[in-house]
Amino acid sequence: MMPARALDRRRRVARAAMFTAALVAWQCAGPAAGAYSFNYQVADMRQPADISGGTACPQPTRQNTALPGGIPIQWSTSLGTTPATILTANQTPAGRLAEISATVTAAYGIWTGVSGTSLAPAVFAPLGTTAAQNACNPTDGVDTICFDQADSAFTTGVLSFTRVTTSDAIGQQAGPGTPPAGFIGQIVDADILLLPGNSSVTFATSAALAANPSAYDLESVLSHEIGHTLGLGHSGVWRAMMSPFGPSPGTYLGTRPTAGQPDAPLADDDRAGLRALYPSAADTAHAGIISGRVLPANPLILPTGTTGVFGAQVVAVDTASGAVAAAAIGGWSCADPGPAQFDGSYTIEKLAVGSPENYEIYAEPLDGPLEPSDVPGATTALCRNAITDPGWPTQFACTSPPVAAEFSTTIRSGP
Amino acid sequence: MSKMREGSTNLPARATRRSRAALLALFVFAGTPLARGTTLARMTLGQLASAAQVIARVRCTGTTTRREYGSIWTFTDFAVEESFKGAPGAQITIRLPGGRDGHIEETVEGAPRFAAGDKAIIFLERTSAGDWSISAWAEGTFRIARDSQTGEQTITQESSAMATFDPATRTFRSDGIARMPLAEFRARLDAAMRDGGR
Repeated sequence: MMPARALDRRRRVARAAMFTAALVAWQCAGPAAGAYSFNYQVADMRQPADISGGTACPQPTRQNTALPGGIPIQWSTSLGTTPATILTANQTPAGRLAEISATVTAAYGIWTGVSGTSLAPAVFAPLGTTAAQNACNPTDGVDTICFDQADSAFTTGVLSFTRVTTSDAIGQQAGPGTPPAGFIGQIVDADILLLPGNSSVTFATSAALAANPSAYDLESVLSHEIGHTLGLGHSGVWRAMMSPFGPSPGTYLGTRPTAGQPDAPLADDDRAGLRALYPSAADTAHAGIISGRVLPANPLILPTGTTGVFGAQVVAVDTASGAVAAAAIGGWSCADPGPAQFDGSYTIEKLAVGSPENYEIYAEPLDGPLEPSDVPGATTALCRNAITDPGWPTQFACTSPPVAAEFSTTIRSGP
Repeated sequence: MSKMREGSTNLPARATRRSRAALLALFVFAGTPLARGTTLARMTLGQLASAAQVIARVRCTGTTTRREYGSIWTFTDFAVEESFKGAPGAQITIRLPGGRDGHIEETVEGAPRFAAGDKAIIFLERTSAGDWSISAWAEGTFRIARDSQTGEQTITQESSAMATFDPATRTFRSDGIARMPLAEFRARLDAAMRDGGR
């Protein structure tokens, strides 16, 4: 934990944020993390401990980087031709496949090129191919990219999507013959589907993009979707790879990867999210953590079963630059064996260290512009109970409390 | 609290420069859980109205989940309270990807989820399976809520929570409709349908 220090301008901050907070603020160092997000999985606690893992604490979903032989990845060489889904500069059949393969490889390399993570290139098996048209099968345990698979999920405006399959039980398989899940929240299959056969929607490799300005950049789309296959949700940071909207046709998001900087297209927010999901013990450069609790001045206002404010939003702002360093929705913590406790806790992790810098901490109730109805994901994935899952053990049951939309607090320095 | 509008960059006047950045980031971050992911083309209300075969005000009555051809789908039943385009009948069921089947859960970001009692205006089109789904998923989903202070019914586009903050320029970009009074939204929708997708 970083040493704590009083904030320089806490009174002004409190006025600006229009509330006061009993908020523990920690001095931290380094530039922005950001608004990356994860998905969570709560283990099926109706199962024995060797299957459930013995804890009802929400687990972030992620790939198993210790999978024997590596995480299997492939792409389907079945390509839409009338109209062409993927546009390449090289028009020969072999050249076309090579160009697409290079794009897929580059898109994976963007993520494995991030420093300070355990997601090294070697955690993936060599990129394979399949000639099957409908190769994106969520039960085969192979992360597959499909360019020519019609799927009834596609509607107008959906350019691509990723089905991420996770398990809430250790040993569960995506399908027969696939590796069993080694931990709760393991991604056991993740398939990327690009919209096929639509004359108004095409994707172009980097070599073909300039000549096809109405096409979407294939590398950008794949890089974003691969982020989902790794467990990253959408980011609210503009220009982040995990921002939910792709770049306009004919344009590339950010800077193309280079040998010297393979993760060049990513934003710091993307990198911080990946480091949090796939931490490396050797990474001492991003060890900064800001944590604390948001507590009401009058605890009697808290809903039953809570000991802190749930749903307050906490943001760290770089004191010197005024830039947003990180953001999190506070409100819960969890210690094994769970379940989640709604004690007002928040944690912002994987901040760079080395150049000491002060941060101002804000907490903000969901009284607009953001409202409780805007954040159902913050309240729905943390708990399971007998209503959501018949037979759920009482001692592991919890129910997310209502988001606190109105409260009054004061800011004080950390210990 | 000032109401946000489509494409708005307005923020509460009380916010200082620095607190504005924080507010925006908060707004942005908190929206991310809504967007269970995907790459979406940005669509105007007119484009959505043109793409949709049915536009209806609905109330969710329940959901079921099942596998089809290996994938998990969530089927959501709605009671149709009012139709603005097409003739959906009194009940309609839509298909969206993702859901839980035993110990396996499939997650598809950007595909909306509904619970019984949820109210919305949804833009629907036929799927290749012959049933219904929502045009552009989160973009074609407009939630109906009631303002706790005024009691007024408001509309918030699901994708508006995907609004983004640019740390480089420190500007906010909201591309959706948020907390728009229902009457105003209906007027916009009428105009969009008249304009035929522009």
